[in-house]
Amino acid sequence: MRHRADFSGGELNVIVLIKHVIDVELNVRVRDGSVVQDGMTYVLSKWDENAIEAALVLKDAHDGEVTAVTIGPERSGESLRKALAMGVDKGVHINDPATEGSDSMGYARILAKTVTRQPYDLILAGRQSQDTDQGGTGPMLAELLNIPLVGNVVEIAAVDGTKLTAHRNGDAGKEVVEVTLPALLTANDSLNEPRLASLRGIMAAKNKPMEILTLADLEIDPATVGAAGAGTEVVEMQPPRARAAGQKFEGAPEEITKEVMGLLVNEAKIFG
Amino acid sequence: MVKIVVVVEVKAGEVRKPTLELLSHIRKSGFEADAVIAGENVKGLADRLAGHGAGTVYVADDSSLSLFSVPAYLGAIAEAVEKSQANQVWFSGSESSKVLAPALAARMDGAYCGDAIGVEMEGETLTVDHPAMATKVIQKVRFRNEGLKVLVIRSGTFDVEPAEPKPAHVVELAAPALDDRVVTKEVIQESAGEIDLGDASTIVSVGRGVKGPEGIEFVRPLVDALGAAYGATRAVVDSGWMPHNTQVGQTGRVVAPDVYFAIGVSGAIQHMAGMSGSKLIIAVNKDPDAPIFSIADYGIVGDLFKVVPLLIDEVKKVKS
Ligand SMILES: Cc1cc2nc3c(=O)[nH]c(=O)nc-3n(C[C@H](O)[C@H](O)[C@H](O)COP(=O)(O)OP(=O)(O)OC[C@H]3O[C@@H](n4cnc5c(N)ncnc54)[C@H](O)[C@@H]3O)c2cc1C
Ligand SMILES: Nc1ncnc2c1ncn2[C@@H]1O[C@H](COP(=O)(O)O)[C@@H](O)[C@H]1O
Repeated sequence: MRHRADFSGGELNVIVLIKHVIDVELNVRVRDGSVVQDGMTYVLSKWDENAIEAALVLKDAHDGEVTAVTIGPERSGESLRKALAMGVDKGVHINDPATEGSDSMGYARILAKTVTRQPYDLILAGRQSQDTDQGGTGPMLAELLNIPLVGNVVEIAAVDGTKLTAHRNGDAGKEVVEVTLPALLTANDSLNEPRLASLRGIMAAKNKPMEILTLADLEIDPATVGAAGAGTEVVEMQPPRARAAGQKFEGAPEEITKEVMGLLVNEAKIFG
Repeated sequence: MVKIVVVVEVKAGEVRKPTLELLSHIRKSGFEADAVIAGENVKGLADRLAGHGAGTVYVADDSSLSLFSVPAYLGAIAEAVEKSQANQVWFSGSESSKVLAPALAARMDGAYCGDAIGVEMEGETLTVDHPAMATKVIQKVRFRNEGLKVLVIRSGTFDVEPAEPKPAHVVELAAPALDDRVVTKEVIQESAGEIDLGDASTIVSVGRGVKGPEGIEFVRPLVDALGAAYGATRAVVDSGWMPHNTQVGQTGRVVAPDVYFAIGVSGAIQHMAGMSGSKLIIAVNKDPDAPIFSIADYGIVGDLFKVVPLLIDEVKKVKS
């Protein structure tokens, strides 16, 4: 199967994977092994905003269509609408209770079936989602689709007829990677500054196509995804280990620095 | 029976400390470990790995592996896992692990956890502690018993036990299959100092409070006096004052050194998620309400341009 749109310096069709997540900027509380949902709100995962922005910049340069895809319950539609308001052309919402409890692999399996319904040149995902902090879905999907993968992209340097050059933050420095399209990139937050949706964008979003799908529509066996198909399960959540209350020193710099150094030497014994 | 393949990380011709942490812990726990090492001129490191308990060392030593490449590295690791018939693969936390580990899980139809700070085995059942939601919760993630389990373990999670090198049982892997659809053209080497953040027992990180490139150099003598690695916040890295791979935090390096100095760092959740596991935290900030003070063991409220020179003097005194 060929899943490459006809991009030869012409249109570039991009699929962006987005997730609607609990707002981790808020005060997240844990009770009885799970997160207290009361009073929590949900937002578009930050790194996915970077992925959307990158897609829109590419669209401006090359034309083509940007499709945002999300898997999640009813409320996830909000993030899709935000994506449409930012300038994405089309939304796809996989809304099926059987997807609940998926791990990254479960989502990757569903996405693999979803993205191959239409031709694409590029898939963009977040480096990790803000609720799981796993960073699994993007690389897994690339592997399932057998397309080139560049993870943790900080710059998209060039795109020509069949190739794209991306810079990724690697271990030894910035890696300059050239991939043949179609390919999958995961976005680091340093990639760009996501635009805000304009009022006009918000109005326009109302008339943009939004497709709602179930696992049956995608011919996915529910036993292979969701909690049923998951290789990992979150059995419990705990608050992080509290750090012992520290000491704060205020006053004349000479005095407090000396005092702290004394403690580092004698109390914390950091110099052996 | 638990059998683990450890994916070895190399820097400047040496096995990196996080790899030795994993091998040390596996040996102490009484599990069997093999190791896989991919790179150029890495074969000589096999004896060191054997000394730390690696039963078989799978080696992919090829000039085509001098630069990081997903297909080449993934191919080597997958082949080693197949040959070793392991049921677990342990990666240490690094940018290459972050892409290789999930891709490996997908290729081998395994299960995956991308960042573990604790590992528990009960019979065949593996459960790991995984910080999520910017480290506002710790999830207990349990793996299903069947199939391959792939995990990335944060550096600093375990201690390195000393060990002498010994002759290794080496299995050489075939030259990596090249995939010209993805080619690393070059690595723009960047480094703020000699010591890698993941290997360091002391880290000094600077934030926007240092004001500019001169501020970076102003703090550097403290880094040198402490024999520390030099890190930064995203604000500093995005301003171009420090190289990208010095960024500490959720989207940079996640570190847990013995001692962490945060100088002119406000303490945003994304930064703290990358360093709150440090054993001892010392913060210097002129704002008494800076969030960093909520996790600092020792907080110095003051102007870093006054405090840092004083610290340097004191450290030099102690060290001499
Ligand atoms: C998706 C996402 C991912 C992110 N990932 C990361 C990440 O991995 N790592 C990261 O660091 N950030 C990350 N960030 C950014 C993060 O939110 C903060 O913006 C950043 O950490 C702030 O850096 P800073 O502390 O250097 O700057 P600021 O927040 O501007 O703080 C500067 C501090 O310096 C102090 N100061 C100023 N002058 C002096 C002086 N003379 N003496 C002493 N103190 C002084 C100030 O009081 C202030 O507290 C991420 C953000 C997002 C949205
Ligand atoms: N439910 C989902 N729907 C759509 N995309 C997702 C979903 N979960 C994860 N992704 C994508 O995969 C990235 C990494 O997710 P994770 O593996 O959870 O860290 C996210 O930033 C998204 O781009």
